[in-house]
Amino acid sequence: MLEVKHLTKTFVSGSGPVTAVDNVSLNIPDSCFASIIGRSGSGKSTLLALLGTLDKPTSGTIMVNGQDVTKLSDHALIRYRGKEIGFVFQSYNLVPNLTAVENVMLPMEFIHTSRKQRKERAAELLNQVGITDEKHDRKPSHLSGGEQQRVAIARALANQPDLILADEPTGNLDSETGKKIFDLLHSLAKSQHTTIVVVTHDLSIAGRTDVTFRLQDGKLDIRRGK
Amino acid sequence: MNVITRGFRNVFRNSIRAVSIVVILGLSIGLALTMLIAHQAVNQKISSVKSTIGNTITIAPAGFSSFSSVNNSLTVSELSKVSSLKHVSYVTETLTDRLTTIGSTQPSFGGFGGQSSNSSNVGQTSLTSPVTFNVSGNGGGHFFYSGGASGSTSAPTNFTPPITITGTNDPTNLDGNSLTLSSGKSISGTNTVDDALISSAMASKNSLKVGSTFTAYSATMTVAGIFTSNNQAENNTVIVSLPTEQSLSGQTGDVTSAVATVDSLDNLTSVTTAIKNTLGSSADVTSSEDQANATVQPLNSVKNISLFSLIGAVIAGAVIILLNMIMIVRERRREIGVLKAIGASNIRIMTQFMVEAITFTLLGAAIGLIIGVVGGNPVTRLLVNNSTSSSSSTSATPGGGGFGVSVNGGGGNGPVTITRSSNGGGGFFNRIGGRSTVNSFKNIHAVIGWNILLDGLAAAVIIALVGSAIASVLISRVRPAEVMRTE
Repeated sequence: MLEVKHLTKTFVSGSGPVTAVDNVSLNIPDSCFASIIGRSGSGKSTLLALLGTLDKPTSGTIMVNGQDVTKLSDHALIRYRGKEIGFVFQSYNLVPNLTAVENVMLPMEFIHTSRKQRKERAAELLNQVGITDEKHDRKPSHLSGGEQQRVAIARALANQPDLILADEPTGNLDSETGKKIFDLLHSLAKSQHTTIVVVTHDLSIAGRTDVTFRLQDGKLDIRRGK
Repeated sequence: MNVITRGFRNVFRNSIRAVSIVVILGLSIGLALTMLIAHQAVNQKISSVKSTIGNTITIAPAGFSSFSSVNNSLTVSELSKVSSLKHVSYVTETLTDRLTTIGSTQPSFGGFGGQSSNSSNVGQTSLTSPVTFNVSGNGGGHFFYSGGASGSTSAPTNFTPPITITGTNDPTNLDGNSLTLSSGKSISGTNTVDDALISSAMASKNSLKVGSTFTAYSATMTVAGIFTSNNQAENNTVIVSLPTEQSLSGQTGDVTSAVATVDSLDNLTSVTTAIKNTLGSSADVTSSEDQANATVQPLNSVKNISLFSLIGAVIAGAVIILLNMIMIVRERRREIGVLKAIGASNIRIMTQFMVEAITFTLLGAAIGLIIGVVGGNPVTRLLVNNSTSSSSSTSATPGGGGFGVSVNGGGGNGPVTITRSSNGGGGFFNRIGGRSTVNSFKNIHAVIGWNILLDGLAAAVIIALVGSAIASVLISRVRPAEVMRTE
């Protein structure tokens, strides 16, 4: 269970303080596929960064399985992110000089999984997301956008995280590929019992998630779904 | 794939840039290594020269180098004060003059070693010099003819120098070395006797043997012993006792130079000062340490140049790798953010970039090593040659009033000192010695040993670590949230 209470993030800019996330509270149950929608600048990605402990909130709490992750030390946060969270980014963010399989192996290296296990699981995950064996040793530049995003999803799943946070995962893809990626995430949420939170501005995608939150000017104004 | 492999592979992500950086870094490290090699070679040479320092102090009449009108010999009574100084073991005194061959066409030579150059009492001898020089031009390294003026007189192509006659109170020793007699016996240095020592070359040239006689200053001298030498100057020398030479040349009580031997190297400086205080302005006092320091003066310049160049090259290398790593980190901020987001620690990422910096540096070091090995010796020689040449050319002043072979000092004759000097103003023997020392500098050979290579490697690693230090700070400041798209 992901429980967010009174979460606020304020940035200091040249024109004064800007509140990107304003007193947001929400609950996302385990194995739920949730989406966060909103217009550009509404604070979606900031909220996602806070949920993923990539940034620290100005105030509020984020409880994950009963633990307030905002109180974790920097060192503990690194371990937490490595083990409990998987990230999928709009622009894939694969390491360009590593092959597909090496990119998927990367998070496992950080939690000290043996090389043999890393390789086996990476190959298995790539196959699971639809990357065939002959493409495992290709570098990202030799993969299509959809394939790169599949590799990114496999990388996010590498350490069997409880939570996958996806920031506009279909934003750089055509609609057909985007739909396939969405379906992949959806099926993984069910098969892997993983909670997935997707930030998107694509309402057709948001409409197919278990629960949808809408952010406007940093405030949560609509909650739809189960 | 681990952090080290990744760091290594990252070097080649941009091959054009990698090659450029490695080549530039290689040149920088090569220069540093070359300078390190030169520095060590010069250091070794300086140590080698200094290790040969004797515990002697040379005493010459004051203003000796500008001898054209010098008539200020030392006296035996002055030197007796030196002999009585504490820590002075003994003082070797010499009076040197030149003798022209009877009936020869040799030009008239001025006084030797501080003697008046217009003396009418120029000695003659029945001996003929065994030495012939091919003379051209004038200046440092050549013989000069007298005439009272600066040495610009034209010289014959083949020149037989006048014979040097040296009166000494220690005939067993010449030029700091013991004389080796091939026949006969040595002579007393303190009695007035008509005995002389001549070189085997002189004996051969004049068909003399032990017991034969020859004339000098109209006196008949007997060959008491024949010594061997492969030194041209020594071959051209007749050695008699000091009182004999003083008597024959009419310079009773005069001495053209002296060498005080000190009981210990530790007392060299204090005794030098004591002698200076005792003799005041009437004498130039130079310790063997001063001579050694003067001899290695050009090398000290090279040492300083190489040291500053070494430091400059290391700093340049560090700046190159520093800027390169800063550029790389700035380019890969997003990637660093991703790595942090998926669980990589700061230390792990820094290690990866440090490996990258070290790889750049080691590849540069490999090129630098080749440059250093190939260029170390030639550059060292070039630096030493330039330094010794410029030193010679700036200090060599042609002079008249005698002859001499000068390396660092002006031409002209000087006292025949028993120790070697290359600092000008010295005599025939010592300047030849100085020239040979400087020539040995020109043949300096840099040895590229493991210690130099390891020092070079250590410098390369230091360059890498220094170069990646700021990059590491930048890495630690990258917020993982930066990886999220900007809203």
